[in-house]
Amino acid sequence: MSAQLWALAVVGAVVLVAACLETFRSRRARRLVLATSPSGPTGHLLMNGEETQPYILYFTGDSCTVCRTHQEPALARLGDVRVDKVDAVAERTLADRFRVYTLPTTVVMAADGRALHVNYGYAPAPKLERQLAEARGTSLRSAATA
Amino acid sequence: MSTPATQVVDHSALKVNQTGIIVTVLVAFVGGALFRPLLVLIPLLAVVLLVGTFAPRLALFKQFYFKVLKPRGIVKPRPVQDRPEPHNFAQGLGGVFLAVASVFLIPLTFLGLALALLVAVLAFVNVAFGYCLGCQIFYQLERRGLLRA
Repeated sequence: MSAQLWALAVVGAVVLVAACLETFRSRRARRLVLATSPSGPTGHLLMNGEETQPYILYFTGDSCTVCRTHQEPALARLGDVRVDKVDAVAERTLADRFRVYTLPTTVVMAADGRALHVNYGYAPAPKLERQLAEARGTSLRSAATA
Repeated sequence: MSTPATQVVDHSALKVNQTGIIVTVLVAFVGGALFRPLLVLIPLLAVVLLVGTFAPRLALFKQFYFKVLKPRGIVKPRPVQDRPEPHNFAQGLGGVFLAVASVFLIPLTFLGLALALLVAVLAFVNVAFGYCLGCQIFYQLERRGLLRA
């Protein structure tokens, strides 16, 4: 029985350490992306050139099951929001720029091409809606001060 | 850009497979405390997972789903456009971990049990939240060109 208890303790410790490392990793990646996000149009990211609404960069891949079963239905619930789907394996440079280490990853972009929120892992629709609403507020403030 | 072809993967088969892993490890873990020979379920499960990885037609839990659960309507199919490779890779990884766990079961029982329990925890996370760690590792390896897409 003591072997079972020790095993439980080891697994508990491993899970705890993994959770802490994951939190640290995602926070660090998010901070770096937001700190280095350029202001102004960013070429590849602005297909239409004159984007006026915030939009979402959605990093996915063929090996990502959660993308199909969870993330895509959540994105579909957002309604009339532009979602740029990016294959993280094929578009490696872009994925590296946003430090995509897990799939799915969603980036809420301001109308001027700045990254405002980065979500590593599945992001539910209410969270994305909240971030988009914040991004719209940021865009309005930028327009007012311009 | 060349993307690997997806096909229809029945996710119910994957869930049954993961549930089978969880139940087997738990029976070995709890039962092993009362009746030590039950620990043999861990090496057996390692063999089942590894064989199923290289010969999917011999995957025990998936075949149980396709031959028994699905035809009788006990578990409904859930076809999803997907790639089977990441799931097979994850299953193989689970098999490898269980094989290592089996090696440790005699000299360091707690370590063998811990490794087996870790596999069960990851299978549970996959069943409950849809997060597949093996698939994420597959993505990272594929991204670095270490696995062929």
